[in-house]
Amino acid sequence: MAGQISEADQIKQFKEFLGTYNKITENCFLDCIKDFTSREVKPEEMTCSDHCLQKYLKMTQRISMRFQEYHIQQNEALAAKAGLLSAPR
Amino acid sequence: MDPLRAQQLAAELEVDMMADMYNRMTQACHRKCVPPHYKDAELSKGESVCLDRCVAKYLEVHERMGKKLTELSLQDEELLRRMQQGTGTA
Repeated sequence: MAGQISEADQIKQFKEFLGTYNKITENCFLDCIKDFTSREVKPEEMTCSDHCLQKYLKMTQRISMRFQEYHIQQNEALAAKAGLLSAPR
Repeated sequence: MDPLRAQQLAAELEVDMMADMYNRMTQACHRKCVPPHYKDAELSKGESVCLDRCVAKYLEVHERMGKKLTELSLQDEELLRRMQQGTGTA
């Protein structure tokens, strides 16, 4: 595994992180914040947004796992096909 | 455009496309599988299973769409070619 990540990639990674941060905020705000009779965030709303964040992160982890599995499968299928096509010794 | 540059460009575009697809898939499966109640911080078994299925289905649809679009665009190209040939020999 490469220890050095290029600066350009680091910047890209960080940008993505910021994007995710904004997306989660918007998402959990829309789903959890319903009371606009006061400026304060109600305790239920805070709990809801905590749960929302944790759930979202768990969800993205799971999706990432399945996505990787899918691609590994695809690559294996391609490799098998290539193996069949290449001339036997 | 020289073929090496074209290949490079195609690879870059594919990476961007994959990243975009991944983001849309995440959003879609979130909407389909995680109801906005948030009583618990954990994913329920039902939600987890739904997410697994959602990812599998999304990727299948994505692949199918790609094939269909390629088919259709080849058909268009063929039609265009025939039309041009027709006017050329006129």
